[in-house]
Amino acid sequence: MLLPRFEYHRPARLDEALAILAQHQGQAAVLAGGTDLLVGMKHKLMKPAHVVGLEALEGFGQIQEQEGMLLLGPMLTASALAGEPGVRARATALALGAGVLGSPQVRNRATVGGNVCNARPAADMCVPLLALGATALLQSAHGAREVPLSEFFLGPGRTVRTPGELLCGVKLPAGGPGVGSGYQKLGLRQALEIALVNVAAFVALEDDGQTVKTARVALGAVAPTPILSPGAEAALTGQVISEELIRQAAQAAAADARPIDDHRGSADFRRQEVLVLTRRALQQAWQAARQD
Amino acid sequence: MGGKYDVIGGRARRVDAVDKATGKAIYAEDLRFVGELHGALLQSPLPHARVLNIDTSRALKLPGVKAVITHKDVPATRYGVSPARYDETVFAIDRVRYVGDEVAAVAAVDLETALEAIELIKVDYEPLPHVLTVDEALAPGAPQLHDEYPGNLCAEVHQEFGDLAAGFAQCDLIHEHKFVNKRQDGGFIEPQHSIAVYDHTGQLTLYSSTQVPHYVQRTLSMVTGVPIGKVRVVKPYVGGGFGPKAEANPLDLCASFLAMRTGKPVRMGYTRAQVFLHSRARHQFFHTMKTGFKKDGTIVALAHQCHLEGGAYSSFGIATVYYAGSLLGGPYRMKHMSYDGYRVYTNKPACGAQRGHGCVAARACFEQQLDIVAKQLDLDPIEMRLKNIMENGDVTCNHMSMSSLGMKECIQAVQTGSDWQEKRGKLPPGRGIGMASGFFVSGAGYPIYRSDTFHCTVTIKVQEDGGTVLVKTGAAEIGQGSDTTMAMIAAEAIGIPLEAVRLVSGDTDYGVDLGAYSSRTTLMTGHATKEAGLAVKETVLTALAQELGIERQRLDLKKGLVQISGEPVDFSALRTKYIKEHRGWTDHPDGEQLTFTEAARVAFLKHGTIVGTGKYKPPVLGGLHKGAAVGTSPAYGCSAQVAEVSVDLETGQIKVERITDAHDCGQAINLTSVEAQMEGSVSMGLGETMFEEVKFDKDGRVLNPSLGEYHIPTVLDMPEMKCIVVETGEPNGPFGAKEVGEGAIMPTIPAILNAVHDAIGVAIDELPLTPERVLKALAQAKQG
Ligand SMILES: Cc1cc2nc3c(=O)[nH]c(=O)nc-3n(C[C@H](O)[C@H](O)[C@H](O)COP(=O)(O)OP(=O)(O)OC[C@H]3O[C@@H](n4cnc5c(N)ncnc54)[C@H](O)[C@@H]3O)c2cc1C
Repeated sequence: MLLPRFEYHRPARLDEALAILAQHQGQAAVLAGGTDLLVGMKHKLMKPAHVVGLEALEGFGQIQEQEGMLLLGPMLTASALAGEPGVRARATALALGAGVLGSPQVRNRATVGGNVCNARPAADMCVPLLALGATALLQSAHGAREVPLSEFFLGPGRTVRTPGELLCGVKLPAGGPGVGSGYQKLGLRQALEIALVNVAAFVALEDDGQTVKTARVALGAVAPTPILSPGAEAALTGQVISEELIRQAAQAAAADARPIDDHRGSADFRRQEVLVLTRRALQQAWQAARQD
Repeated sequence: MGGKYDVIGGRARRVDAVDKATGKAIYAEDLRFVGELHGALLQSPLPHARVLNIDTSRALKLPGVKAVITHKDVPATRYGVSPARYDETVFAIDRVRYVGDEVAAVAAVDLETALEAIELIKVDYEPLPHVLTVDEALAPGAPQLHDEYPGNLCAEVHQEFGDLAAGFAQCDLIHEHKFVNKRQDGGFIEPQHSIAVYDHTGQLTLYSSTQVPHYVQRTLSMVTGVPIGKVRVVKPYVGGGFGPKAEANPLDLCASFLAMRTGKPVRMGYTRAQVFLHSRARHQFFHTMKTGFKKDGTIVALAHQCHLEGGAYSSFGIATVYYAGSLLGGPYRMKHMSYDGYRVYTNKPACGAQRGHGCVAARACFEQQLDIVAKQLDLDPIEMRLKNIMENGDVTCNHMSMSSLGMKECIQAVQTGSDWQEKRGKLPPGRGIGMASGFFVSGAGYPIYRSDTFHCTVTIKVQEDGGTVLVKTGAAEIGQGSDTTMAMIAAEAIGIPLEAVRLVSGDTDYGVDLGAYSSRTTLMTGHATKEAGLAVKETVLTALAQELGIERQRLDLKKGLVQISGEPVDFSALRTKYIKEHRGWTDHPDGEQLTFTEAARVAFLKHGTIVGTGKYKPPVLGGLHKGAAVGTSPAYGCSAQVAEVSVDLETGQIKVERITDAHDCGQAINLTSVEAQMEGSVSMGLGETMFEEVKFDKDGRVLNPSLGEYHIPTVLDMPEMKCIVVETGEPNGPFGAKEVGEGAIMPTIPAILNAVHDAIGVAIDELPLTPERVLKALAQAKQG
């Protein structure tokens, strides 16, 4: 399979990159790890005349922590996120999701920015980030804006990002004592699997260690985008956490899922798995919240 | 080792290992020819349509395009695998029969131009109604694929051995069981690739990623009209085949026609998606087996029906439909068996042969049924199998002779090796253990076309300087290790170390060899190699005996040294003569014994180049009934496996934790390769059991034509494996050796199925065992 012809740009500074994107509105594709983009180009799903590589941009691969927030550079790879102790402790679900994305070779290339901008309904980093309450940091030649991930995804492969915008980072509240998250993925194989269903859960407990202050459950592969389950959130918030409460929340999540039948699985099956995986993800999150 | 052999039975490092590990091994796509052109195929986007018109004018005008060919430019010769069903032509003539059917081909200066030209060819199609399933194809009034084969019946088989009615009359229990697998893809790593070179003398040379240079040579000659003596097929290293590469493919033919037309070398390769369209992999089988038993578990009679969803053409299908029935004749004693098999045409890519050709779904169905019945009769499934097991010398009701059969030994080995007794019935919920057996041919008894040809010929030439020998064979190393195996057999036969053997293979110029299919190479090419090696040894030792003035019988070769029995012999004159031959060389022999090197040089000085030849053709094999040629073999390899699984009862996800595997290969030539075949078989069988299914949309397009969406097992999906090699010594095999390539896959699917049955209490009769299917089975069981 051949790549279509294109012009390659390798900006060293952010303003340069944004200028190129502004100049070639709609004709330019951003290249991070290339594990989605190049595959799509080879299949002729897109034929961008210009490709803008982010590899030389400074600071795009960094993790920063400020004022209780984690700031992730878009070029952080899945293997970096999976292995980084800070991420494992403070954004557990993301580290878990990144750790089961693809295979070691893919994880070494795949970036968080690429995963988010590619916006697949089952993406292994999108679902955890959604549960963790992350925000996308977008920037164009004309300015910057912040969009919560819950408003970022529009459909499979579609986001609110305009062609002139670059995702310059992802921001999320850093976990700490009383806070935990979990991630569950169901596939056929042990590796190289796009999830049949995946679920991420986040729980923050009050100081009493048992009342749920905030909770979020994100579901993958059961809607055109990764979605949050409002039902699960409502079931959990303000309640004393227990196995029974988790069971109720899982039921609410299953009710919120909007799966369809396709050749990979039926809607009924997916809903049934949402129930099981949500329960397990919440148990994981609760366990983690209790531990710190 | 310390056994009776010096080379075989050990763990030789494969001759291709370093090249493959370092990326130096040359595959078809790596070859480069000066002035080569790139070809591309235009394939039908419709599952069934009349071709009204093909307009190539715009493609021909595109700069860089050197040739565009359609059915008008090539002979309408029909070809295929079995001469009984030649139902393919190079290009569709008036009709396309599946999404992927070849319509035209282009050669251009580069691939980009060739692909662009393909898009410029305009074809007018008139869509026809299509059939995608067996039921649709067999329905009254169904659209017909081939006028010559009415009712969409590609082939049917009706056989009865023994007396079925009498058999069933004696039974205490009759059980009926249905089973269905899913259409597979071969899942080999290297997509097919072919390069054709046509020279000024009219010789056509094709470099192809194939398992069968010999059959490709015959098909090329038949279709192109180039005399067979001027067609040469060369197989570089091949990245796996597993069956789908066991026939001439459209790339082989199109590249040849394009090369003949342009006078330039032409290369063509499949993308991964095109591999799925060419297919020729495992069929979908719908089995119904009605089996009769006595109370004590004795198997008495089997009435078996099977429908195969075949796709648009026959490929290997005639053999497949026979295989699906015939290999149930063993490995259990059973006096009465009937079989009704139907291979059905559909508007999908053609299915063909894949590892365990025709037999794995049948084996899975039968072995699953044995487990169900064992439960009903309250018998241990292993004891029930042992009660019925065949042994050395048994002949099946359909006339297959088990000249060696270590089936019992294999079953006992996995019984002990897996701690069966401690585990069966004692595992916690969600965990299970199951076993199954199976066997397979060690080489098809007959060539695919009717002929008295030798199945293989081997030449071994002693290099004129003495010391090393060159083995030349047409055998196809496709990753299975046949090069190393043949080198080891040559070394053993001559009595020299493996390092003294060089080997070239996979070229029709080196002799006849039917190729790598039906697990034939070790036994058949092994025989020919051994014979050639013994001939070399004889010539060399006879010459040496004359030179030394002693009887030939006093001489032998072992590990490259001449053994002289009886009185000591003074060979100093001979040694001096040898040293003078190589004046100035520093590595003169000075040991107590004469070397093969010295002897071989002396023989050369006497006779000129020393060449030994070998050949093999199976003896006349049993069975006179129609279809007896499918399943008869000079020998049969057999396997037993115990699988242990854990099932997540909430998600339905299964993990195969452990497989204990025993295989009787007669005599291991290279122990490491035998174990590798056992592990590879388990991997492939596990994939079919757990994940693999080629899926289609309603318009006959493959939904998952990539290794991202067609899930073959990764290394993480592999169970822990314990391989036990059983060696019974096959009287019809070279040094006692027989197959391991396909027999080893037979028990995998049913062993896992039976373990899952043990774990969840339900027997699932449809593959693959996806979480969804497992959950459904659990829910049904709950409802009762
Ligand atoms: C074999 C294989 C297995 C895979 N398995 C999985 C899996 O298990 N789970 C999973 O979730 N995914 C999987 N993927 C998909 C892919 O690896 C991930 O989505 C990955 O995170 C994409 O990152 P990337 O850096 O490679 O993105 P790229 O391919 O470089 O980019 C992806 C898209 O995002 C855009 N983009 C990238 N960065 C930015 C930015 N900073 N600003 C604006 N736009 C940007 C690109 O233009 C492109 O449209 C797999 C892919 C392959 C090839």
